[in-house]
Amino acid sequence: MTATQRLFLGGVVITFATMALAYLGASSSWQFYLTVDELAADAASFRESRVRISGKVARDSLQIAPDRSQASFVLQGETAKLNVQYTGLIPDNLAEGIEVVVEGRLEDTGLVRGNKVLTRCASKYSSNG
Amino acid sequence: MLGFGELCLLGAFIASGFAAFATLAGCDDKHRALEKSALISSAASLVLLTLVMLILAIALLTKNYQFDYVAYYCSQHLPWYYGLSALWVGQAGSLLLWAWFLGILAMIFRFASSRKSDTLRQRAFGLLMANTCFLIATMVFAADPMARSVGTPTEGAGLSPLLQHPAMLIHPPIIFLGYAAWAIPFALATAALINKRFDTTWIQQARPWALFAWAVLGAGILLGAEWAYEELGWGGYWGWDPVENGSLIPWLLGTAFIHTMMTWRRRGIMKKTTVALAIATFAMCNFATFLTRSGIFSSLHAFSQSPIGWLFLALMLVLALAGGILIYQRRKELAPENQITSAMSREAMVAMTTVALLLLATVTCLGTLSVALSDALVGTKITVGPPFYNNVLAPTGLLILTATALAPLLRWGSTPSAPEKRMLKISATVGVLTMMGIVVGGATHYLLIAVTGIVAFAVAVLLCSLWLDAKRRPCDNYWASLVRCLREKRNQYAGFFVHLGFFALAIGIVGSSLGTQRHEVSLMQGQTIEWAGRSIQLVDIVDRQLPDKLVAGAVLEVSRIGDVPVKLTPEQHLHLLQNEWTTEVAIQSDWSGDLYMILHGGTEDGGVRLTLVDNPRMRWLWLGGLTMLLGATVSLWPNKKAARQNYNQPAEFSEQPQGLKAA
Repeated sequence: MTATQRLFLGGVVITFATMALAYLGASSSWQFYLTVDELAADAASFRESRVRISGKVARDSLQIAPDRSQASFVLQGETAKLNVQYTGLIPDNLAEGIEVVVEGRLEDTGLVRGNKVLTRCASKYSSNG
Repeated sequence: MLGFGELCLLGAFIASGFAAFATLAGCDDKHRALEKSALISSAASLVLLTLVMLILAIALLTKNYQFDYVAYYCSQHLPWYYGLSALWVGQAGSLLLWAWFLGILAMIFRFASSRKSDTLRQRAFGLLMANTCFLIATMVFAADPMARSVGTPTEGAGLSPLLQHPAMLIHPPIIFLGYAAWAIPFALATAALINKRFDTTWIQQARPWALFAWAVLGAGILLGAEWAYEELGWGGYWGWDPVENGSLIPWLLGTAFIHTMMTWRRRGIMKKTTVALAIATFAMCNFATFLTRSGIFSSLHAFSQSPIGWLFLALMLVLALAGGILIYQRRKELAPENQITSAMSREAMVAMTTVALLLLATVTCLGTLSVALSDALVGTKITVGPPFYNNVLAPTGLLILTATALAPLLRWGSTPSAPEKRMLKISATVGVLTMMGIVVGGATHYLLIAVTGIVAFAVAVLLCSLWLDAKRRPCDNYWASLVRCLREKRNQYAGFFVHLGFFALAIGIVGSSLGTQRHEVSLMQGQTIEWAGRSIQLVDIVDRQLPDKLVAGAVLEVSRIGDVPVKLTPEQHLHLLQNEWTTEVAIQSDWSGDLYMILHGGTEDGGVRLTLVDNPRMRWLWLGGLTMLLGATVSLWPNKKAARQNYNQPAEFSEQPQGLKAA
């Protein structure tokens, strides 16, 4: 076997090994990315799976625990609504009426148990900029 | 002012378009006359672009809200330097800056060499002007920096508080300078393909630009990480966010390109890869712009929707397609002149590293596109998390580290000599002993053990190689020989210096990501806790009012056991204009690690709530980055003698000075 062949074989092995590892990493971390409405429309099939939901924090629904370690709010879509119980670091600008992305697990009861909330970073490249 | 600016922009568009056309047409002998008018119009487009830049800059400084752009990003209490930085915060402004940089670089490229203009250089210049024209077109048709405000606003919307950070003053322009500079190696590679001239002339011209672009883009990424670390306040510096990934992908490809250029020059192999990488790197710079501006991603930063992104995607696809076709047509001319004869040679290491870098870039790209791809393929939107990337980063990173570690004691085109082999064995022993040492010292994670071992091995290899090299150059004493060999092989050792930076970077990344720990705590005034080998005391709680914000802070004294205490003040700022809180973290940093403090707020009984993050070895990361930059700078420093030696000698002999064969 020449050096070129050996290197080629090595490259193929590395490529497949890496792709396999990437798959393992993905399968342990992937999330369904949905809007509130999409989730509500097909809630049964996303039960107990990791989800990442985008929506708006509904008015008069946000409650933040005094020690800011927990929060609960209603996530609103175009038509549907979803209750979110969130534990974790609360972003500075979490407020009612803003767009957020919640990561967590959809429970049987229809409650989303969130472990990460992302707020929209104030427009860096806004469409009218 | 507005109308004049608009005219200048249109003028620049037309001038750059004509310059591109005339330069490319002027390459043909029949149309030589066009060359001069092309040069004049490209100079005119640069002057006009500069005027547009000045007009916008003055509007930002004087807070002229007639400009829609100014009204959108400025406000009365914004300090002038952040006002000016708004020039590259918004879309239109950053495109303008990019086009302006490209115009300047194209001019420097055109006039840098004392040699008379040849077709290669001219074609490349034409392509650069075409790229400038494209960038100006995106402004003219989609994102006009000279747009007029609706009505006459008296106060602007203001700059997002998160972007009011020193790193943000320079991070975006540096990234755009990097993107602009990558256009030059691309233009040269494409010109070489069109010209069918495949000697190393184009590489000789592309090398300094590639190094420059690589260093600048790297510096930009590093500053972005620094900004995220200090400003976003979650304790980390890298989140595999589309924006970060977007700039990382061209940097990874560019790194591979710089190395395959060497294998082409030294051995006449990997030619197709080299050309493809030059084109791909530039294409991915445009892709990064697509990522941040198409609105198909919901990440922390990339939230916007605009037609600009799709223009850049189209350009990227055109580049990929045209590049692919050109390379296919020239496949015979691009055939390798040699074979890789030994797996223990530098070209073999470059080949391996290229595979690893390509894999990493592909995976990063796939991960970034996961939402769009899964939606298109299976109809469900799926996102992947950091484990996806990290799982790939670990093995590819180790592979690249190993190849990089071996390089100094390997040769181009042959196996190592006997003394080199001996040195490799000694270095390997050092590496293994180090691994055993840290296992005994209590390290358990395989990555930590492997990286420490490889880095020790790498340092040993470098020292051994220096020793062998110095021995081949007998002087009065060892130090004189050492200086002589460093001087004679400056570019090579500058490269190895960059590698040293890479090792420090690896230590920083592995140390901080494996060893990080968090602790949420409530402290009362005067209370002291012991955590992560430090004692932390809450000394005071302070409030201040500034013109544009309210500041609440906690003053803490932190000391490693037995050391002098350091004062840290994590704060919360309430920005009055935006009615938005931002977290200002406080960081205590030394060579063993960072203590990162986030203030959340007060408790009902008069104390404060804090999150403490321990990030071991963080400083190594910044040190590594700076070392890499320094190495690249040394390598770029003009050196006429070395340039002659490197390029005018047959490749086989340039490795060692004449008459000094291996010891």
